[in-house]
Amino acid sequence: MRTTLELAWRLLRGGGRRGLLGSLLTLAAVAVSTGLLLFAVGANHAFSQRADADAWRHPATMAGGAATAVQALDTDYVRGTPITIVDLAATGGSASRQAPVPPGMKAFPKPGDLWVSPALADMIKKLPADQLAKRFRAGAPTGILGDEALVHPGELVAVAGHKPADPAMTVERNDTTGSETTASPAPIDHYATGAVSTIPQVYQILAIIASVLMVVPLLVFGGAAARLTVARRDQRLAALRLVGATPGQVVAITAAEAVLTAAAGAVAGALLYAAAIPALTQITIGGGTWFAGDLWPGLLPLAAVLVAVPLLVGVSAIVGLRRVVVSPLGVAKRETPPGMKAIRLAVFGAIVVAFGMISGNLLSMGKTGAVLLVVFLALGFLSINLVGPWVVALIGRVTAGTARGPARLLAGRRLIDDPRSAWRTVAGVALTGFVAGFLSLMNPAAMPGADAKDRMELTVAKARAAAVADQARERLAGIPAKVTVGGAGSDDYSRTVEITVPGGDAAVDRARTALHGVVPGTSPTPPAGSGAELYLLADLRTGALTVLVVSFLIAITSAGITGASAVLDRRQTYAMLRLAGTPLEVLDRARRQETLIPLAVMGGGSLLTGLFFASPFAVGFGFSGALTLVAFVVLGFAGIIGAGALSRPLLRSVTADPAPRPD
Amino acid sequence: MSELVLSGHGLVKRFGPTVALGGVDLAVAAGEAVAIMGPSGSGKSTLLHCLAGIMKPDAGEVLLLGQRIDSLGERRRSELRRTRFGFVFQFGQLLPELPAEENVALPLMLGGVARGEAVRAARGWFGPLGLAGLEGRRPGELSGGQAQRVAIARALVSKPAVVFADEPTGALDQNTGHETMRLLVEATKHNGASLVVVTHDPNVARWCDRTVEVRDGQLLVPAGGVV
Repeated sequence: MRTTLELAWRLLRGGGRRGLLGSLLTLAAVAVSTGLLLFAVGANHAFSQRADADAWRHPATMAGGAATAVQALDTDYVRGTPITIVDLAATGGSASRQAPVPPGMKAFPKPGDLWVSPALADMIKKLPADQLAKRFRAGAPTGILGDEALVHPGELVAVAGHKPADPAMTVERNDTTGSETTASPAPIDHYATGAVSTIPQVYQILAIIASVLMVVPLLVFGGAAARLTVARRDQRLAALRLVGATPGQVVAITAAEAVLTAAAGAVAGALLYAAAIPALTQITIGGGTWFAGDLWPGLLPLAAVLVAVPLLVGVSAIVGLRRVVVSPLGVAKRETPPGMKAIRLAVFGAIVVAFGMISGNLLSMGKTGAVLLVVFLALGFLSINLVGPWVVALIGRVTAGTARGPARLLAGRRLIDDPRSAWRTVAGVALTGFVAGFLSLMNPAAMPGADAKDRMELTVAKARAAAVADQARERLAGIPAKVTVGGAGSDDYSRTVEITVPGGDAAVDRARTALHGVVPGTSPTPPAGSGAELYLLADLRTGALTVLVVSFLIAITSAGITGASAVLDRRQTYAMLRLAGTPLEVLDRARRQETLIPLAVMGGGSLLTGLFFASPFAVGFGFSGALTLVAFVVLGFAGIIGAGALSRPLLRSVTADPAPRPD
Repeated sequence: MSELVLSGHGLVKRFGPTVALGGVDLAVAAGEAVAIMGPSGSGKSTLLHCLAGIMKPDAGEVLLLGQRIDSLGERRRSELRRTRFGFVFQFGQLLPELPAEENVALPLMLGGVARGEAVRAARGWFGPLGLAGLEGRRPGELSGGQAQRVAIARALVSKPAVVFADEPTGALDQNTGHETMRLLVEATKHNGASLVVVTHDPNVARWCDRTVEVRDGQLLVPAGGVV
């Protein structure tokens, strides 16, 4: 083992300039993939942290006798941003059973106390009292909440202390949004068993989907990096086989060499990720940015990634080495490859047809619909990956059949020769097309209610609707507002009192402040479709855009690495062609077409598939949708061309001196 | 001696402190087949590379049909190699992705000939070289001897003035090597091209009109005194 490691280290150090270039490329590729993998792990950790941070607002309800406090939840708005208001009252207890202290506070709030988050404290200071401060009985905050109480740094949270008999702690509240942003007073005695509420759960699921979408291209990328290690070593290792090294020894040396390079790359990736955390915390999701600690995945996951990445690269390198191990001459037999099976297309077609059949009912199927959607999304993604090489081979046949010049003929023949390898180069960008297509139909600006910032609703019992409307009109005297009693609320027994306040944010906030307490403990909600749903949709876009950017980064780097790897793989052929007078431009053009032709077809195809899969919940294809598509096409092609151009110097270098022997 | 096609005068080439060629003169007449022999490291391949415009000599000059080619830029030398020279190597010169006929047609296509015409011209070489029926096979599906004959067809398809062969039978058994050399010499002569073969095998050299020997970067002058 020691000899193997020593030999691997000597081979690594003695690789010369080209060897060093290969090692550096592998190291860089592993660093980028480790960084992105940590980002995927960190994002899941971050959402789980947020879910935990939100849990104390939804504590487990206790039987009346065992409780030491009552807690209620409400969501108000200022400048269109939600304020989470937690109302608390201690219900007695004893010396040994005190009311539980909420996270981020030093003690349980006394009646009349008001603890606010730093961002809300700033808002209270900044805005005129009639727009915000007057909503709170205390007027000025008595304490500032610590970070443990907050979901994100800029979150607006208020914790108000009451007497148990205060109407805020006794009157039932109506959760009209269904997103658990309002909760009636409930007896509690501790916070430890707080349940994860719906919205953070949705975010956690979405984070997992996003991670899957990012990790698939990452695996392709890791494979490409490992292949690069092998591409420049196969000759040396074939020589080792000739001098009698056993297949096991060759495998061990390769694995050791790849693992050593990948380990350095993984450490560099971890440092890269740590350096990027401050910038990543600024991504706004769920209405706010992130705590740095949220995005740090923790020591154990970090250690797992640092061990797993080099091991995976090592395994990938061993798989890539099979042909050297099989033949000491390292000669690959190149024969007409068997055609790819059309069953791949059939599977893809079946998934698309099946989705088409159920897509119309997805929205009405509730949770089953959501699960089905996730399953079909994953299947859609995988089936594009399955059908990709088949289509690439087909494109190759068409390209070669219709080629008139040598560059296109070479490109076409290479596509037929190894469609999987050609697919690997463009897979990342093509699969990103699926996300881009999906995303372009998610346009929050087209949502009903998106332009309803001047409207709010109070849902009250049918019998009280007229009285509440009158009270509201009275309180809004002096503010140009219109109050009407609308249709049925969430059931036959309730009505909505609709209030429209033209005149911008300041007027809306004055109205909200004036209306505070009309219904004890309940603030007016935005009209359906403009609250949490709109938030979630906007976050879906942000998340998908993040996935898109990350996938693009992986895809383009992957294309660059695969391009460099392909040049090194074919260095002998390129050198011979150059020697026989083939212009470098022809070789370069062939390389470019070999990538761009399948990219155009597959990128377009997966974009259309993405559009098809998003069609059931399309909320409008507006300017931003068109922008997403145009950006995908432009960045995709420019990125692939740029990545390919990066290996041009390598091509020049491997063909510069085709006959270096002094013989 | 008939008309000179290719000549090198006072060719010097160094690789660091190693002198690969120390002032070599060599002339090749039209239709002549010349073998360059010598032990490993003697400088025979370097001489071929300098004559073929692959390398620029450090000193001396190379003339093709009376025109200096060693002073041309890389682009012009590339073009020259593509249009006036043909190459046959030990292995690796065929593109594994292309069927045999397209491998042969490639130099013509690179010269701007339409694909259909280039492939038709390429197919014309298969019969005479004993390759009939193998046009659609890929290099991996050909034997070593068949692959070398495809390479010979490719070297000759663009009607070059000179064909350069570097150990063309090095990877073949004796019988196949013998047959390959026969075809190489006959086909080259039949097309009026000259042939420069680098080899360390006297059996290969025997097929040529003349043999010159390189040792330590110098040409050994034969009894007749002409190289």
